[in-house]
Amino acid sequence: MSDGVVLTVRARPDARLDLTGVTPDRCANLSASEIAGLPVWLGATEARVGDIFDVRGERSARVEIKGDLGDACGVGARMTGGLLHVHGSVGDDAGQAMAGGVLRVDGHAGERLGGGLPGAARGMTGGEIVVFGSAGGSAGALMRRGLVAVAGGVGACAGRGMMAGTLLALGPVGELPGVGNKRGSIIAAGGVAVPASYRFACAYEPPHVRLLLTSLRRRLGFPCDPGLVAGRFDRYCGDAGEPGKGEILVWTGYANGHERTSR
Amino acid sequence: MEIRGVFIEDTFAEAFAMRAARVVITARTMKWARAAALKLTGFATSVIACKCEAAIERELTPDETPDARPGVSALLFTMDTDSLGKRLTERIGQTVLTCPTASCFDGLPDVPDRLPAARALRTFGDRFQISKVVNGERYWRVPVMEGECLLQESFGMQKQGVGGGNFLILAQDIDAALDAAEAAVAAIDGMPGVILPFPGGVVRSGSKIGSRGYKGMIASTNDAYCPTLRPFTATALPDGVNAVLELVLDGLSPDAISAAMRAGIDAACRPGVRAISAGNYGGKLGPHHFHLRQIMGAPV
Repeated sequence: MSDGVVLTVRARPDARLDLTGVTPDRCANLSASEIAGLPVWLGATEARVGDIFDVRGERSARVEIKGDLGDACGVGARMTGGLLHVHGSVGDDAGQAMAGGVLRVDGHAGERLGGGLPGAARGMTGGEIVVFGSAGGSAGALMRRGLVAVAGGVGACAGRGMMAGTLLALGPVGELPGVGNKRGSIIAAGGVAVPASYRFACAYEPPHVRLLLTSLRRRLGFPCDPGLVAGRFDRYCGDAGEPGKGEILVWTGYANGHERTSR
Repeated sequence: MEIRGVFIEDTFAEAFAMRAARVVITARTMKWARAAALKLTGFATSVIACKCEAAIERELTPDETPDARPGVSALLFTMDTDSLGKRLTERIGQTVLTCPTASCFDGLPDVPDRLPAARALRTFGDRFQISKVVNGERYWRVPVMEGECLLQESFGMQKQGVGGGNFLILAQDIDAALDAAEAAVAAIDGMPGVILPFPGGVVRSGSKIGSRGYKGMIASTNDAYCPTLRPFTATALPDGVNAVLELVLDGLSPDAISAAMRAGIDAACRPGVRAISAGNYGGKLGPHHFHLRQIMGAPV
């Protein structure tokens, strides 16, 4: 058992890399050679982790990926536990059908962050996805449980069909957020056009947002300054229809005289 | 053994195993956090009649609390697991849920035994409550008239809690006894993992088990230490002692009790104090024995 598993990209793949199934929970029980032997897809060709990455460490649920993976899809897909830390960007479908653990992305993420398998009725069912850059469209779609936190903006249709869970964006949120939202929470700290199908409830300081932001800042260094933590939000309830218990929380300003210092 | 002229008796405090929880209350200001904590720990001096023993442990800075607000940590002790869960539910529900801007968190996150004490309180939300999981812990957002009350669902239960650590201050008069007791309380105040559940941290009505005159009494006055009864009983008071005060300590561990007793006894050794003693039942009832001279550094 080692302190962690480090996968270092040897050279940028010349085809789209699909890393579905290369998860910390699997690496926790595998030797370095077994990790290197895990199957991945390079375009339409089956390859091995060892063909793409230098593998260091073994038998650990803490996995780091170093190198440019901006085109790789399925990073952290079907994770059930552990920590997957990507020192860079990831492509589409990161954290797909994730059920547990922490997926940390220091760069940007592509489309359908934390979404579901094709045709599935639900997206991620647990765990945390924390992206320090921005994310593409349909982030947190069909989310059943868990957290998607994005330090930058997110694309259109964020939180589409959310059943529960939390989607946090410190940057701007694209058009049509929370369509079909049942019980999910969308926290928009950087601007959002709330759909007309949501109804205004109140302006207040939600204690769970404060707790969430404080936890992310302390544990992962998520870039939310103390002023934002003490923020005031407008609460909109929706989406229209049953049960309609979802919410969009829109940051509107600082409480207690805090000034925003950075984001 | 003497400390600054105060005789340390060769005896021990006998204490019991208790279940314990640490409740962290935060609020918009320290004023409101303290307001909730004072109510949470109210009427909780002795399990004999209060069903639990509780007090404020210390104040917390925003850097020390889960939501970066001012906070207060309180410890609550009971004799069994079932009772601890019930007391937490009752007290959090009536004091934190009701207090403006207050939130409630578990202060023993690393303890494996968990009590879902706040789960029942979610129903106050009448199905409008919302559950959120942050860092693997479940919280309940209960809608209230000022916004939302945030309650952590489960609380760690320390099975190795200790209740009933104590020492007695035998003084020449009430002035000297109070001065010494207050100094001892000040020395213990804020020490981690220990509380003084009685008013101001001090007890005047030390008790013995049972009663000589009334059947069915669980406890009655400790006549051996009552100066007014010196002619009538087998007094334990040396000559010149006219007032006795006791500090009772509950702690998360025996080490926490020992450290607090050491600090408190040292502070209590002041002019006008004749001796420091401790209450015990012959060593047959409680598993924890805190020998005064051992605690104060002398060989037993």
